[in-house]
Amino acid sequence: MSRALPSFEPVGELKFGQVGIANLRLKSLDDDLLAQELRQKLETAPQLFQRAPVVLDLSHLPQLPDAERVRAVLATVRASGMLPVGLAYGTSENEALARALDLPLFAKFRAAYESTAAAPEAAAVVANVAAAPPRATPPPPSAARGAAGMLQALPVRSGQQVYARGSDLVITAVVGHGAEVIADGSVHVYAALRGKAIAGAQGDTSARIFCQDFQAELVSVAGHYRVLEDIPADLRGKPVQVWLEGEKLLLARLGP
Amino acid sequence: MTEFIVITSGKGGVGKTTSSASIAVGLAKHGKKVAVIDFDVGLRNLDLIMGCERRVVYDFVNVIHQECTLKQALIKDKRYENLHVLAASQTRDKDALTKEGVERVLNELKDEGFDYVLCDSPAGIEKGAFLAMYFADRAIVVVNPEVSSVRDSDRILGLLSSKTRRAETGATPVMQHLLLTRYNPARVVAGDMMSIDDVKEILGIEVLGVIPESEGVLAASNSGVPVILDEASNAGLAYDDAVARLLGQTRAMRFLDAPKKGILSRLFGS
Ligand SMILES: Nc1ncnc2c1ncn2[C@@H]1O[C@H](COP(=O)(O)OP(=O)(O)OP(=O)(O)O)[C@@H](O)[C@H]1O
Ligand SMILES: [Mg+2]
Repeated sequence: MSRALPSFEPVGELKFGQVGIANLRLKSLDDDLLAQELRQKLETAPQLFQRAPVVLDLSHLPQLPDAERVRAVLATVRASGMLPVGLAYGTSENEALARALDLPLFAKFRAAYESTAAAPEAAAVVANVAAAPPRATPPPPSAARGAAGMLQALPVRSGQQVYARGSDLVITAVVGHGAEVIADGSVHVYAALRGKAIAGAQGDTSARIFCQDFQAELVSVAGHYRVLEDIPADLRGKPVQVWLEGEKLLLARLGP
Repeated sequence: MTEFIVITSGKGGVGKTTSSASIAVGLAKHGKKVAVIDFDVGLRNLDLIMGCERRVVYDFVNVIHQECTLKQALIKDKRYENLHVLAASQTRDKDALTKEGVERVLNELKDEGFDYVLCDSPAGIEKGAFLAMYFADRAIVVVNPEVSSVRDSDRILGLLSSKTRRAETGATPVMQHLLLTRYNPARVVAGDMMSIDDVKEILGIEVLGVIPESEGVLAASNSGVPVILDEASNAGLAYDDAVARLLGQTRAMRFLDAPKKGILSRLFGS
């Protein structure tokens, strides 16, 4: 019996995803401290970090380490339970290093390097998972983004992913459990949000998430995420806004 | 006009085959020319529930591989001559199905003037399930009132709106209905099953019917008489309503409330 696949199902479906990879930005080289920090992360949110793919960002080290040294760091990360899958895009030496290690470079973070000092902090160090107390009065959102938003009028079902590249994402239907809605700008959901919402996917820290009926599994702004194993009782089913204040991800009820 | 209807769910064992058999019989009772195809290659079931398992000579895979004609493989129902069953092969695996082959068989059924072709999907989201839904005009998503079944149905609804011929060619989307089966009002009241409103709210689509959990279903399956033919069974009556709604009639939902049982019926079931 031939085991040929039907023609409508390609053997491999090639797509560029935008989520699911954590970025670990190293600020100094201390394997012991790193091991300890990562262990803590894993304890706070094992479902999120256990075997999670992670990209190593060496750009904030005072000096680019050599391949041997990076191998040791990769081993530390692996020992923590996360799976290092590549290096973040950087200088040409960084590129040579990636080649020497036979690891891919993740150009996704490129924007952060190409724009200069004024650019927003891109996909920062593995999230600030700590639950921040919601503030009563969020500051007004910053000026509207340039690009027009993308409109999604159909439900986003479990297993589906919708990504608004370079703009806001406006959704007028349900986002199911296990669905992912992602925007480089803000995410607006005028219905129940039960899945994951990721705003500022390219690092825009002024991006926000708004939804009418909050039931989210995970919310993230510019790489700062929060896993909601239990939906806070005061937010469940309510209109909610999510935004970043410094390194803190805040959630609060919208409106009266 | 032939309408292709897939009966699907994602999760296994929720009542797809039971529903396919009863809806097929129901449509035939309304005088429609109906074929019902078992896509669950390797785990054939539909012929048993339809009560024609001893008359299977050729099956769906034989037709796809042109080892027999469609006419030879279609089994005529003993109760309704306008109802036909195309059994799955028990000996082959799902890779025996091809998209071109399925399309050819469906086109042939269309040429034969069938009003409805029901495709009983296997569980999962693999090849068999994909092929069962690919050509659908309409989908009946069978769901049990529990979290995992609802989640899988949500996934299936997503695939229906992206991985079907209608989605790929930009035609009007596949029409979607929910069929809530094995509904047990007493357990809903007790809080260990989701209510019809919970399910509707999460999935956001219209409910074609609610089939109560009923012992009549198992008895019907064992005797090869689809439960819709059992007028003493609430499940049968609920299927009858669902078929009428499918045909555009209005029927109020029944059997949504927990019956107030006496001690005897509680002991001996209904
Ligand atoms: N309304 C009901 N009340 C009681 N039992 C039911 C009901 N509907 C289905 N069942 C029982 O549930 C079991 C599974 O039903 P069925 O075979 O129709 O499911 P299925 O979705 O086709 O399964 P599979 O995924 O294996 O193909 C059977 O034993 C059947 O008798
Ligand atoms: Mg079945």
